Amino acid sequence: MSATVPAAPGGSTARAGAARTADSAVTGRPPRGRPRASDRARAEARLGWYLAGPAFVVMLAVTAYPILQAVYESLFRFRLTAPDERSFAGFGNYAVILTDGVFWRALWVTLLITVVTVVIELVLGFALALVMHKAITSLRGILRTAILVPYGIITVVSAFAWFYAFDITSGFVNQWFDWVPGISSDLNWFAQQGTSLFVIIASEVWKTTPFISLLLLAGLAQVPGELDEAAAVDGATWWQRLRRVTIPNMKAAIMVAVLFRALDAFRIFDNVFIMTNGANGTEVLSLLAYRQSISRLEIGLGSALSVLLFLCVIGISVAAVKFFKVDLAGARGER
Amino acid sequence: MRRRRRAVAAAAALATTGVLAACGGESGTPVLTWYTNPDAGGQARIAAECTDEAAGEYRIEVATLPRDASSQREQLARRLAASDSSIDLMSLDPPFIPEFANAGFLAPVPEEVAGRVSEGVVEAALAGATWEDELVAVPFWANTQLLWYRVSVAEAAGLDMTQPVTWDQLIEVAAAEDVVLGVQGTKAESLTVWINALVASAGGEIVTDPEAEADAVELGLDSDAGREAARIMGEIGDQGLGGPGLPTADENASLSVFQGDRGSFMVNWPFVYTATLGAVEAGTLDAELVDDIGWAMYPQVREGEQARPPYGGINIGVGAFSEHVDLAFAAAECITTPERQAEYFVSDGNPPSSTEAYDDPAVQEEFPMADLIRESLENGAPRPQTPYYNEVSAGLQETWHPPADVSPDSTPQRATDLITAVLRGEQLL
Amino acid sequence: MRGLSGRQKVAWVVITVVVLVYALFPVASIAATSLKPASELNSGLFLPQNPTLGNYEQILVGNAQELFLSALRNSIGISLIATAIAVVLATLAAYAIARLDFPGKRLILTTALGVSIFPVISIVIPLFNLWRSIGLYDTWAGLIIPYLSLTLPISIWTLSAFFRQIPWELEQAAQVDGATSWQAFRKAIVPLAAPGVFTTALIAFFIAWNDFVYGISLTSTETARPVPAALAFFTGASQFEEPTGSISAAAVVVTVPVVVLVVLFQRQIVAGLTQGAVKG
Repeated sequence: MSATVPAAPGGSTARAGAARTADSAVTGRPPRGRPRASDRARAEARLGWYLAGPAFVVMLAVTAYPILQAVYESLFRFRLTAPDERSFAGFGNYAVILTDGVFWRALWVTLLITVVTVVIELVLGFALALVMHKAITSLRGILRTAILVPYGIITVVSAFAWFYAFDITSGFVNQWFDWVPGISSDLNWFAQQGTSLFVIIASEVWKTTPFISLLLLAGLAQVPGELDEAAAVDGATWWQRLRRVTIPNMKAAIMVAVLFRALDAFRIFDNVFIMTNGANGTEVLSLLAYRQSISRLEIGLGSALSVLLFLCVIGISVAAVKFFKVDLAGARGER
Repeated sequence: MRRRRRAVAAAAALATTGVLAACGGESGTPVLTWYTNPDAGGQARIAAECTDEAAGEYRIEVATLPRDASSQREQLARRLAASDSSIDLMSLDPPFIPEFANAGFLAPVPEEVAGRVSEGVVEAALAGATWEDELVAVPFWANTQLLWYRVSVAEAAGLDMTQPVTWDQLIEVAAAEDVVLGVQGTKAESLTVWINALVASAGGEIVTDPEAEADAVELGLDSDAGREAARIMGEIGDQGLGGPGLPTADENASLSVFQGDRGSFMVNWPFVYTATLGAVEAGTLDAELVDDIGWAMYPQVREGEQARPPYGGINIGVGAFSEHVDLAFAAAECITTPERQAEYFVSDGNPPSSTEAYDDPAVQEEFPMADLIRESLENGAPRPQTPYYNEVSAGLQETWHPPADVSPDSTPQRATDLITAVLRGEQLL
Repeated sequence: MRGLSGRQKVAWVVITVVVLVYALFPVASIAATSLKPASELNSGLFLPQNPTLGNYEQILVGNAQELFLSALRNSIGISLIATAIAVVLATLAAYAIARLDFPGKRLILTTALGVSIFPVISIVIPLFNLWRSIGLYDTWAGLIIPYLSLTLPISIWTLSAFFRQIPWELEQAAQVDGATSWQAFRKAIVPLAAPGVFTTALIAFFIAWNDFVYGISLTSTETARPVPAALAFFTGASQFEEPTGSISAAAVVVTVPVVVLVVLFQRQIVAGLTQGAVKG
């Protein structure tokens, strides 16, 4: 699953705000909040909903409806191959899941993958963003093209590429790196938890770092150039300027990037499915839910897992917004 | 008809023909859709042959299922649970047949058809097509694993391959000669195949009452037979006798190891023979290798006690929601004639379920081990014939993987606990 | 590279090479695998010794042709339709968000955000159940509808950012010059909005093209199965042989259009994903 999250460039407030002010000035539209021409406001509101309504309804229909359905289904014990034995289970399915070590292990593995990939990607993505930001014009195109390739590639394809490279029978990695202690032609990467997770994380990082680096690039573009120059004149080193000027000025962008990537990583499924299918303690939550409902056709248990996964995502978002003060709307210039 | 022809524009006409063909209406010939497992094209060929033979009575179209057996089951079960009428014929892996039969996904086999198609069928295949004492699918081809060996290794170890060998002998030889045993230790259906053959060869049964309800299913793993099976698998895993690739080794990976420098003994399906010949023909393998390959009956667990080799293959089920059940059974009979089974063996390397087909001269010429395969099938042990096979198999894979961690003291017990809890709906898988 | 010291030039060349290797190596790796004949798949070498196009033949004209080409057709068709619907709906919504003041604007944007972080697996299970009962299982529509949950939110966000930067006063000016409002919109606004819509469509298409979970869960035959799901259906010469070669070749075939699009439109894509403005 690649990032499906739209870019939310940090602090584009200034530009977007300016554009809007200009806009209002020209069209003579009243700034928000001033009570005037209420008929017109009502007409505008109606037009707004006519235009935006269909998109809104579709979004709700394709998500809210299924999740409500899942909540309902999760209250039953129901197996698709035994449709007559459907019975009401109350919160029984949730009890089964929450008291099962399998669930907690999958949650732990998912969180581990999320945290590790996000940390690596933040550093790597920042480096790539700096490269794209500072690149001289003649190289900019080729750099951006290269960085966009992993972004555009199908996750499943990337998973196969990494899998074949590391696989003990078809791979070349063991031969190439047999000088590294611990790596030899006998190393079966997909036979232990640690090495399996290493390859899974590597492929995830490769595929999704471009996305985070683009978000950070947007943030970099918002850092006022004068500040950096002034600091340079004052004799600050490159590192000092990065730490004292650049990073603080793009904090919002970083936060948003981290949150989006974390939520995206939390849904990881494709690479795990292709590489290990959950063997050796690499089971993640999405795979667990998939196995219960799609493979075992235990709709009740699967639905309960879906609901729990959904609640986790909500939980992470709320925590991020509350505790880390990630201002999604503000980062977008939406106020 | 005339009105339609006149009124409808080209695009619409196209759509109409599509609809007509789909419901087999006026255009005459009903279309039967046959969901097949992927093969080298043999089933598609048979479909065409039977279409010709039917002379307009029906037409068979082939739709391909995924590669591994559990995904095949998933795809079919999902459609059948939706009462899909487009499924007329299905190539079914035997372990999943009870589940389908129990759920009412399979059309009952008419008595006279059952009588005809079960004549002269190897024992294991018959068992694999039966649920609650009724034939519920038409036996098609039947697979079994043999013990493949490198003649040079066996000679060096002084093993007399004309006599049955035991797993313990293989373990001993592999450890002494520093060679790799070809077994399938990957966390997939092939692992269950191995476990089942070990347990059955030790005289046990994984599920003792396959026809019980989910919460009443009793397992026979926590027994001497189960512990013996765990001991053998654990020793091979623990001593590294399956090579470093064991935890991810499927049939194909085992074959690569077997063909390699450290290849020695391997339990595997007969496809390995055709695949090796093919590789030699393509010039990618040394021709001498073929002369170094021998075959024997599946290894015994207890010396002197007949081994129960794995049984696999494909039986043909007819969809319960099909609109042409009668035609589908006619087609199934056409597909599974002994002559076609023999042809299919020669073309695709999949052994027949009909004993008669093994006497076919082409089969005898192409497969020098044909008689051994038949014998192996007569002794074959089907995997648990329970409607909850998917849970049983997945539960076994969860607890018996990786092979190095399998221990006779704890693994059978853990597997029993997990599978029982899952079947009672008390645990996830 | 004027105005750079020799050292800086070298540094930039090194950086560029590093980034290129990083970004392209896995692609090169699977491309190399796709050119290997069956005998070399286990060679443990990166490059094929006797490169062959056999694997491509297998999927384009050989045994796997039907499987792969139908999947390709499905993937392209379904992704294009899902993209088109999303872009049309999002254009309307984004126009309203950028130009009009109405209550609920933030609600719509927040909803889009919420939908875009939604765990796909949570949607797919109930949808699977629903599609079975209303006959959308294994159809194009059955994939297009859930794909909207992937393509619509990002389209709304990207487009509203684009539209906010369009100088709408041009429309007014055109109207003052005597054009009807439709003419004014067509002549003044459409040319300005088109690049943003196009970029959004590209990004949305990539996302639909990438889907795997819906593809494997909501289809079961060649009538609707998209490419990522179909990769799991390839088979070797027999049931038990690994289709490494065919999978690699298919992977390369579906990656080529991505690379072409990226090469042609890297500027627009970067802009779309960062600024919502088509600027350097």
